[in-house]
Amino acid sequence: MSSELNLDYSLLTPEFCLAGLAALILALDLFVDDFRKSWLPYVAAAGLAAVLALSLGWVNKESDFAGLLSVDNYTTFFRVFFMATAAVVALVSAQFVQDKLRHPGEYYALLVLSTIGAIYMAASRELLTAYISLELLSFCLFVLVSYAKHERRSNEGGLKYMLLGAFASAILLYGISMIYGTSGSTFYADIAAAYAGDTSAFDLALLLGLVMVLAGLGFKVAAVPFHMWTPDAYEGAPLPITAYLSATSKVAGFALLLRLFSGAFMPVLDDWQWIVAALAAMTMVLGNLVALQQHNIKRLLAYSSIGQVGYMLMAIAALSAATSSALLLHMTGYVITNLAAFTCIIAWYNLTGRDEISGFRGMAERTPLLAAALTAALFSLSGMPLFAGFFTKFMLFQAVADEGFLWLTVIAVVMSFVSLYYYLLVIREIYVSKPEEGEERLPVPALISGLTVALTIGVFYVGIFPRHLLDVAEEATKLLFA
Amino acid sequence: MIAFWTLAALAVTSAAMIIVVRNLLHAVLFLILSFVGIAGLYITMSADFVAVAQVLIYAGAISVLMIFAVMLTPRSDRDNAGNMLQAPALVLSGLVITAVSMVAVETDWRLADRVAFESTATEIGDALVSPFVLPFEIASVVLVVAMIGAIVLVRED
Repeated sequence: MSSELNLDYSLLTPEFCLAGLAALILALDLFVDDFRKSWLPYVAAAGLAAVLALSLGWVNKESDFAGLLSVDNYTTFFRVFFMATAAVVALVSAQFVQDKLRHPGEYYALLVLSTIGAIYMAASRELLTAYISLELLSFCLFVLVSYAKHERRSNEGGLKYMLLGAFASAILLYGISMIYGTSGSTFYADIAAAYAGDTSAFDLALLLGLVMVLAGLGFKVAAVPFHMWTPDAYEGAPLPITAYLSATSKVAGFALLLRLFSGAFMPVLDDWQWIVAALAAMTMVLGNLVALQQHNIKRLLAYSSIGQVGYMLMAIAALSAATSSALLLHMTGYVITNLAAFTCIIAWYNLTGRDEISGFRGMAERTPLLAAALTAALFSLSGMPLFAGFFTKFMLFQAVADEGFLWLTVIAVVMSFVSLYYYLLVIREIYVSKPEEGEERLPVPALISGLTVALTIGVFYVGIFPRHLLDVAEEATKLLFA
Repeated sequence: MIAFWTLAALAVTSAAMIIVVRNLLHAVLFLILSFVGIAGLYITMSADFVAVAQVLIYAGAISVLMIFAVMLTPRSDRDNAGNMLQAPALVLSGLVITAVSMVAVETDWRLADRVAFESTATEIGDALVSPFVLPFEIASVVLVVAMIGAIVLVRED
């Protein structure tokens, strides 16, 4: 058997480069005495961009490493996705880390290492590889969430996240053992083959395994009722890490869910479809309703991101080729929008030290560019036309309704209107409330301005020309349902 | 069979005692006992390498670490305190236990159709370097991350 295995290490080159980049960042931080620590984020971002360009060499190629993971268009899509996200997060962290945190070298190294975990979550076609990649991402996030170690909230959020995360991992592993016990394999293809026939001899264990896998992964993407850690971790984490949590950790979870459920559990669709549909409905409703009562922008975005997870879970419930490409499109639009919002929030926090919603008063006068970009991002999150959120949500809801989940779509549309209300509350503070006496215009760093403009253009680009991205998403998910 | 039931009873009883006893140090000692019971179960399944690893790592290293942690914490901050959630927790764990044991009994588990390994250590070693080399390597990155994280968070500055 071992002679037939394809152990082609060149397939893993981008991740080896990322590990090397992390080591380089640590070494620069450690050994080069007069090295300006403020350069580290740019080194990280440039390195990530270089590896991103390198990974484009695998476009339209298809291969696998010992059956453990595939390098196909799906993997390439997420390689680009996660590295781009990490590069943006590294850039927006620059000022924040310098002002508020210590140990910048380890911060950026962990950021880079976590992308390896995220990429392999999307790439793996075997449960143990998927699990250990998930742990790699989670470990990095546990540390990064508690990085502001002299702040109580950061410690509290980090500890809650870690304890509940370990618990969820244990449940996930137990579920995996059930799946292994009933199918006799941990490879997605073999599991699908084992479940293709009659499953009545072990259907209870299969169901329990599916429930546990869903509970474990539901925790990682913060689906209700496994979301309890989210608001605390989001609020406690340093702001750029909150952005990273809302982007990479969720998308990586969905990348794994999508490949796992389409690759392994498709034959037992009836067993899990209703569970995911129920989770999606609960997540949408609770996330959006609780968001209405929040006063802190981080907690608001935490609950709104829980609501977004509900929309994404709909795509898993109504799993098909159309919904999965719509899911990829929606996640891309969501992450670009969220990064745009967080870039503005981080810049505002750096300038004023405020992260309460009432602290955004006068933003329109003091930093007009940030105010406009944040408004655009919030409109996009709520799904207004012209912005990315509208079209991606439209595609997703339509695909889900086509699969026969009209009731889920109705809930999703109603909840989108609810979300518009709490986003408008923030926008009101920005534009309607006047700044207090003596508050002047604030200088926004050129890098942040550039990044904000680029991300806002991205929001409009996805909203106005979604076809381009949708084609890419369709190409990426084609092999999942081959 | 007798060995199985004895070891299973040992593992389960000591696991229950972990929760029941009030003194945290006693709980850790019961935890070690439970680990040993599980190691015994591994031996009955002829997983000798896993059994040895279980004794060395869990019953040995991790328990010592836990005892140190308990001893270094002030007494008032440790020990199991009672609170309002005891009754719901009991109900919930009762439900979980019932569900899992029902599943375990009802299911027609798939049995491995191969002869026993001669020595599991070599088999595990082969599997780790040939098909499962990638998770093995990712695990090493996980350990690096854990180490960096521990140092960053604990270092005084």
